[in-house]
Amino acid sequence: MIMGGGKDKPELIVNGKRTDGREFGELRPIKIQAGILKNAEGSAYLEWGNNKVLAAVYGPKEAQPKHIADPNRAIIKCRYQMAPFSSLEEHSRSGPNRRAIEISKVTKEVFENVILLDNFPGSEIDIFVEVLQSDGGTRAAGITAAAVAVASSGIPMRDIPYAVSAGKAGDEILLDLNKIEDNYSDADMPVAIAPRNSDILLLQMDGALTKEQVQRAADLVIKAGETITKLQRDALEARYK
Amino acid sequence: MMAENEEYILEMLGKGMREHERDHMDYRDIKIEINTIPHAEGSATVDIGNTKVLVGVKLGVGDPLPDKPNEGALVTGAELLPLANAEYETGPPSPEAIEFARVVDRGIRAAGVVDTDALFIEKDKVWTAFVDIYVLNYDGNLFDAGTLAATTALLTARMPKIEGEEIIREGNLGKLKTNGTVTSCTFAKVGKTILLDPNANEERIMAGRLTIANDEKVVRAMQKGLSGSFSFKELTDLIDATFDKSKLLRDRMKQAMGE
Amino acid sequence: MRIVLPGDKIAENPVRMENAIVENGKTYATVIGMFDESKGAFIPLESVWYPRQGDFVVGIVENSKNNVHTVQLDSPFRGLILPPPRPRFGGRGRDDRFGGRPQREEREEILHVGDVVSSFVKDVKREADQIILILERPRRLFGGRLVEVRPSKVPRIIGKSSTMLKQLEDGTKCTILVGLNGIVWIKGENVPLAQKAITKIQEEAHVSGLTERISELLAGGNGGR
Repeated sequence: MIMGGGKDKPELIVNGKRTDGREFGELRPIKIQAGILKNAEGSAYLEWGNNKVLAAVYGPKEAQPKHIADPNRAIIKCRYQMAPFSSLEEHSRSGPNRRAIEISKVTKEVFENVILLDNFPGSEIDIFVEVLQSDGGTRAAGITAAAVAVASSGIPMRDIPYAVSAGKAGDEILLDLNKIEDNYSDADMPVAIAPRNSDILLLQMDGALTKEQVQRAADLVIKAGETITKLQRDALEARYK
Repeated sequence: MMAENEEYILEMLGKGMREHERDHMDYRDIKIEINTIPHAEGSATVDIGNTKVLVGVKLGVGDPLPDKPNEGALVTGAELLPLANAEYETGPPSPEAIEFARVVDRGIRAAGVVDTDALFIEKDKVWTAFVDIYVLNYDGNLFDAGTLAATTALLTARMPKIEGEEIIREGNLGKLKTNGTVTSCTFAKVGKTILLDPNANEERIMAGRLTIANDEKVVRAMQKGLSGSFSFKELTDLIDATFDKSKLLRDRMKQAMGE
Repeated sequence: MRIVLPGDKIAENPVRMENAIVENGKTYATVIGMFDESKGAFIPLESVWYPRQGDFVVGIVENSKNNVHTVQLDSPFRGLILPPPRPRFGGRGRDDRFGGRPQREEREEILHVGDVVSSFVKDVKREADQIILILERPRRLFGGRLVEVRPSKVPRIIGKSSTMLKQLEDGTKCTILVGLNGIVWIKGENVPLAQKAITKIQEEAHVSGLTERISELLAGGNGGR
């Protein structure tokens, strides 16, 4: 992420609106479709603003290689990846760079919290997130999509998590940063939540926030959860209507 | 390691106690030594209890990043050396090592510890500051030790200069230009209990981990790790605790730098 | 009946039931399913197969060592077919006059790696590193075709008192063995039609009038599509 304060920093707020015309606390449009890949146990396709993300889950199956198996519970393997053609900027190498490895790890940890791993000792569950087009907030989009994929698979889980980022431009707290906002904001804070009890499953942040601003960002994230959770729900139910 | 250890710790926590008679919100002893590797432009060794971390800073000349042609670069890496812990293995960096380096990096970057604008040399030529974190002995809480060592090493680093074709790294040199400081406080959640500065035994049984990096005024970076969760109430309480406890870390840093 | 999702509360009190968990004294669904408020019944729309004693399964022999066959069941649980116990001399109820020939049902099938077998779960065992299913009464299945289905759809493929399965078998002139682990073996005259019907059952299991649409499909119609 590029920190704010650079010389050619664009204005993120003009006449009280954001660059894409949104209010400060407004989400981008989100569309979710569940169960769209035939081979996977569960899958989801999600469009979140200009982000396009595919998520799929396989398993539970026998853990491979054998020595990584946990005799008491299932292990989760997670791969988040951005397609080389996904950004407006130049072609990037695909494969796991350091950013992708970290996002894969924190995404995995979200699902370790909600999936009932104890039901499947010695097995593994694979979660794949492929970002086909990116415009800021892809890890949140990926987690939100993967949650729908897992829920559509019948793999038991305690709750369906969602994720969204909040950030800061000047003194304003913004919900759901797009790419430009992500690049030039004064803070970025992606969060994943288990909505049933508002537990924080993922939290990252960089930039500058006071405690009070963290609180305001949290409020926006919780509020947005109502909308995102509803969309996840609709996508899952749509398959049975 | 041994399961008995873990049960013992849980039992003690149940009684409100902690190894080495620490309170839940206490740090272990902190020791900071600067310039431990004089060949490096900047260096610092930090001990938190038995955790020992060394950071070396080197500056090199190279191309700017394509999206930031007018500033220098900052590259942070972390090595969990096999000599630091029986469980560390040789090979490419693990996801844990990568997360560790990236969390330290985000704190330093967000707090503006390195003034990357000042690392611009000329068109297509900038300085890159390499911050390498070496874990020498692991006994928990690498994040705080790493951030402390990296910040101290950067704040005390000298700035090489270019004379003709040559890079001068010794002698009469100025200091690397810095714009801020950052420290971090890491909390472990064990059951419902929250512990500052977890040691290795506590980290083995923790469900969740939360790192909050700050300067005097604001939170600069945060990272929640592992499968355990935190509530928003816990988060804001821990931000308060971080502002409180980080004074100690900054004091130690200043002492070490002879301020 | 209402559709519930993982995390939805289905009871204010703790109820031990499948595909649900109790947290803080309340019961929550863990999979997507239909909940019947009046009966307190929860029918999963998607679920993973949890093996039970007596479950009929279909799998492929994956490995064979010291007369122990490992069976791949397309699940995290590994199936094992052990050699029948060696009959002891003087054992009761056995025809042991000629060196203890095992009785008919105990006689082992000769199995090779790659063979398709049907079998029953005799025991679910927690081994050191995973759950092992001890299988019994293995039967080698010759020829035919394997189809993977979602374990949660197996009850619909079989139908009440096997009505759907019988309809499928009659309508396609096939023998169809449905493993609860989600592997179906089909052999007979019109295997593609049987496959098509099974796919349709899976996709439309939750839509009413399924039996009629399947009859139509089997009768050569397009099954309402």
